[in-house]
Amino acid sequence: MSLSIIESCVNCFACEPVCPSEAIYEAKPHFLINSKKCTECEGDFADPQCATICPIEGAILNALGEAINPPGSLTGIPPEKMAEAMAELQAH
Amino acid sequence: MELPVLNDQPESKGESGCSAGSCGSTDDQLDHLSDEIREKVQNHPCYSEDAHHYFARMHVAVAPACNIQCHYCNRKYDCANESRPGVVSELLSPQQAVKKTMAVAANIPQMTVLGIAGPGDPLANLERTFETFQTLSRDAPDIKLCVSTNGLALPDAVEELAKHNIDHVTITINCVDPEVGAKIYPWIYWNNRRIKGKKAAKILIKQQQKGLEMLVAKGILVKVNSVMIPGVNDQHLAEVSRIVKEKGAFLHNVMPLIAEAEHGTFYGVMGQRGPTADELQALQDSCSGDMNMMRHCRQCRADAVGMLGEDRGDEFTMDKIEDMDIDYQAAMVKRKVIHQAIEAEMNEKRASKEEHTIALPKLNTRPVLMAVATSGQGVINMHFGHAKEFLIYEASSEGARFISHRKTELYCSGDDSCGEAETALEKNIRTLEGCEVVLCSKIGFEPWEQLEAAGIQPNGEHAMEDIEAAVMAVYLEMAEAGKLDETTQQKRANA
Repeated sequence: MSLSIIESCVNCFACEPVCPSEAIYEAKPHFLINSKKCTECEGDFADPQCATICPIEGAILNALGEAINPPGSLTGIPPEKMAEAMAELQAH
Repeated sequence: MELPVLNDQPESKGESGCSAGSCGSTDDQLDHLSDEIREKVQNHPCYSEDAHHYFARMHVAVAPACNIQCHYCNRKYDCANESRPGVVSELLSPQQAVKKTMAVAANIPQMTVLGIAGPGDPLANLERTFETFQTLSRDAPDIKLCVSTNGLALPDAVEELAKHNIDHVTITINCVDPEVGAKIYPWIYWNNRRIKGKKAAKILIKQQQKGLEMLVAKGILVKVNSVMIPGVNDQHLAEVSRIVKEKGAFLHNVMPLIAEAEHGTFYGVMGQRGPTADELQALQDSCSGDMNMMRHCRQCRADAVGMLGEDRGDEFTMDKIEDMDIDYQAAMVKRKVIHQAIEAEMNEKRASKEEHTIALPKLNTRPVLMAVATSGQGVINMHFGHAKEFLIYEASSEGARFISHRKTELYCSGDDSCGEAETALEKNIRTLEGCEVVLCSKIGFEPWEQLEAAGIQPNGEHAMEDIEAAVMAVYLEMAEAGKLDETTQQKRANA
């Protein structure tokens, strides 16, 4: 069982120092999780630390491949509002 | 949890409020500070309005991680054309940061201050931040070290900060009320948990206030930054100002919110507006009764290099620095000579200003806002068309008072994809809204006509003159010409 980081990661470094099992490492184009080392913080903390500090919605997936922080959960921006704003910008 | 800060009874204004020199118009914003503090800030461009015309600063981006989320920040955003906090083009390791700092200090001898301000929170990146400070305090002892923090991890870091010879800290404090805080901070990372809402804001506020008290007790200078967010904390910031002043912060910097949809921040996307220049000035004025206000902040990039208002970061990218061979011992000797010369010049100028201050005739006239094009040194020395920013002064029967600076370019004026097609000239004129005069060294015919049409009088007659003297000369001319009497004011009010 292991969490994973996907391409929406912005390399902000927040997760790397809080991982209790040193499973997270800096890589290109984004940080990665060593699946052999990742314990999902079981036995150390109630919540997986990387997902608890990550500011980017959708960047960290659980073992089932689901986003731990789904769209709207961290920023408070309703996903449709974000889509609207970005569509507006691209139209220019 | 008790929040002692919120339970504090405000002292009566008459006793605690205005210390001499910090109220209303004053020539020197540092007038009321003790000699010891003046000594510490006199060559710090961010802390002394006077010094920012002469001395330069730089930031190194070594602290990318953050332990809180603010609604005005988006950590994935980076735009090379932009100048605003949180934006950087390259992240540095502590070793690279040290190398860059010494290269800049050797090449720009006016550089006096190295700050670590993010992106992210420097104290959430303790190892990287302190490694940088430790090496620099050893190898480049003539550079002042500064750090800027959101305050969450501050109380635990104070001891370490004091060890590394850091005598200035900036804390961003946007509120002292968790109700307000919950509208600014969606979450914090605290004791290995993500905490949201009012509870999160309460913890953050408590840590900020505790950190502030601890720093002051250690004799470390504290500046407080606040972001003014209309409808969220604008009514609340005068209270913040009063409290932080009472606790010993020596300078308050109220900055306008920067929020555009393309920044992808909560405020940007949700259409939260920033304050107008008038609103910002009104709030700064209402806070200044209680404390020394900073008005010359340029809200610079987290990797800015050079004088405030300019950015020479492009000259010092890592690949360029790799090729530089720096003899820092030699640089320090040179820096010392240059710093002494600048300080002598500043003192001379201050003395000559005192000597030449002429008593203003008794006037019963309204104040006037004037814009000045300058590249520094306190003189009018910029062509209108070359100005990237204007300094705004208020002239009144009390004298000339520096109010703010306004950038001429919108935050992202890159190309046609940004907003409506508006000429640069139209944009500049809009930037000067509220001003009645613009002083510059020279100005072309076309902008002259358009400025006049917009009700702003261009003036190129005071090129290379002292800004404040020129502003007052023009003001007196306006008064003599009867442009400032009550009827005119009435007309303006009715317009």
